[in-house]
Amino acid sequence: MSGSALLEIRGLSAGLQGRRSITQVVSGVNLDVHGGEILGVVGESGCGKSTLAAAIMRLLVLPQVLQSGTMTMRLEDGKTVELMELPDNELRHLRWRHLSYIPQGSMNSLNPVLRVERQMTDTLIQHGLSKKEALDRSIAALELVNLDTKVLQSYPHELSGGMRQRVIIASAVSMRPALIVADELTTALDVVTQRQILQELAAIRDELGATIILITHDMGVVAQIADRVAVMYAGKIAELGTVNDIFEDPQHPYARGLIGSIPRESGQRVEGLQGEAPSPWNYPTGCRFHPRCPEVFERCNQHTPTLQQRAMDRWVACHLYDAETEFDG
Amino acid sequence: MTANIDARADESATERQDAGRREVFQYAIRRFGVYLFTLWAAITVAFFIFRLVPGDPMNILLGNLTRAEGRQRDAAAEEAIIAHYREIFGMDDPLPLQYVNYLRKAVLGGLDLGPSFVEYPAQTKDLVFRRMPWTLGIFTTSVFLAWLIGTGLGALIGWMQRHGLSQLAVILSTLLQITPQYLVALGLIIYAGYTLRILPAGGPYARHLQPEWSWEFISSLIQHAILPMLSNMIVIGAGFTLGMRALMISVLGEDYLTFARAKGLSPFTVLKDYAFRNALIPQVTGLAIIIGATLNGTFIIEILFQYPGLGTLFVQAMGLRDFNTMQAIVLFSIFAVLTLTLIVDLALPLLDPRIRRVA
Repeated sequence: MSGSALLEIRGLSAGLQGRRSITQVVSGVNLDVHGGEILGVVGESGCGKSTLAAAIMRLLVLPQVLQSGTMTMRLEDGKTVELMELPDNELRHLRWRHLSYIPQGSMNSLNPVLRVERQMTDTLIQHGLSKKEALDRSIAALELVNLDTKVLQSYPHELSGGMRQRVIIASAVSMRPALIVADELTTALDVVTQRQILQELAAIRDELGATIILITHDMGVVAQIADRVAVMYAGKIAELGTVNDIFEDPQHPYARGLIGSIPRESGQRVEGLQGEAPSPWNYPTGCRFHPRCPEVFERCNQHTPTLQQRAMDRWVACHLYDAETEFDG
Repeated sequence: MTANIDARADESATERQDAGRREVFQYAIRRFGVYLFTLWAAITVAFFIFRLVPGDPMNILLGNLTRAEGRQRDAAAEEAIIAHYREIFGMDDPLPLQYVNYLRKAVLGGLDLGPSFVEYPAQTKDLVFRRMPWTLGIFTTSVFLAWLIGTGLGALIGWMQRHGLSQLAVILSTLLQITPQYLVALGLIIYAGYTLRILPAGGPYARHLQPEWSWEFISSLIQHAILPMLSNMIVIGAGFTLGMRALMISVLGEDYLTFARAKGLSPFTVLKDYAFRNALIPQVTGLAIIIGATLNGTFIIEILFQYPGLGTLFVQAMGLRDFNTMQAIVLFSIFAVLTLTLIVDLALPLLDPRIRRVA
């Protein structure tokens, strides 16, 4: 992996603190996020993608805990910060200015008792802007998501779901951050609004040059706007590559299953994945996908495959390609 | 599509403000209607309940008179006295007529609630007005202080729920909350009043003083009020603390709190504008409920501290089956509780924008 990444995640593990031990939810994720890209992270419910998002944002609260790993972020001035070790008050200044978050529960992510204006500007003022600058920035951000500035005087319950989601996106981009982590941002919306918001997000990326990590369970969303895709399974990355490569030639059997489960126009029967995703309390040994894998063989339940580079921008964690990789390497 | 959204927002903003104002007004009117109805229901229930209490006030009065005068019983005179009193108190009329008369006098006669037995011929109204400031003084001050302290403390221990001190505070509050008020009062009387002798534990002010605007009298007044108020505050305050802590913890799990932290707001702003403001709304409703539920506790405390409020008057009146006085006390207590609750309820829309739009 190249050293020029905006965010370099190495060996990131996070879990749930139990009475005696920690149940690992995200296990040793390695990921490079390049400047200006939209990186889609897909997987079934419970595969740890939201935990990964919250871990990157350092937003985990007990019983969720960060276990190990490093997350190195390159700032605009060329300096790098280590997100894992950043003290709380420095992290606070980094947030929104460099690193923004669009949360999963967008319907309830606005404070019900404050007007939108107060919720958008209080952050900007605390990040050192004057009252007027904060208001100007908020108005500019609302224009980016095609919202009238009258929403500033509204309370959240007076807005529709799509409007609330737009307010949250506007707030997240108002400081022009380098990196935005968006967790299931369109899940609660109807398809029309969903499409508009995705287009707005892509426009924001083009206009601000922001980098976006898009967490979703929806392959359609990824196909629409992502540049690269990380397929997650049971807390690990199974396959990583460009959108075209992964959709046209998925190599990990799980990625193949996911792609195969997308309905096609031709009327072919959808081939779904068999079985259910394992919960963190009983992740299988060896390759965590092996009980559901159509191409399982004896190595799979013994040895854990690691993410190996197969081509330019193509990484797969599967024993099927062991020989080739060893040969290549 | 975008233009549509803008136009819709445009139009609805002004409409919304008008509708909002109208709805606040309607809310206030409706709330006031409920207030009047409850007051009427209270008068009615009080009227009939006290007439169902066994024991004829006349016989008790007569017994007291005879004992006081120490004379031989004179049947004819007794009859005459009873007849006289029955007429004064309007007891010869059938019950429904008595009720209508009572209501008529109360509403049209300038709160004429009839004479009292306890201090005949003093008017019940004057008797109650004389005693009420003592009760309301102790009661409202202690409930509001307890609410302020409990809300602040509860918010803090909810915010720091994993801190050792918070967990200790929860155990202490739980113990205090389940203790009956009269036990706390007795404990304070024995310990602070008689063992330590740091504060007076009986009467409204020192016996040698007369009510006047002097520092000596006022300080004595305050000193005498501390223990009764503390008995009230400790129990009620512990309840408010636990309530606010639970509200705070549930608000801390809300999505808007995660988002507030993600925005990089200072922890103090997150606590004040995001967590506390939202937890406060149900806590204010809690205050309205507690006001109604704790006045009777104050009555018991008054009796224990020989405080000349409505509670002591009620016990006296009960002894004589003086239903005029008992009714008046119940009526004024309910009036006080309802008025306080109304104020709290009308304050709610100021805190919660969502209530302003409830149709």
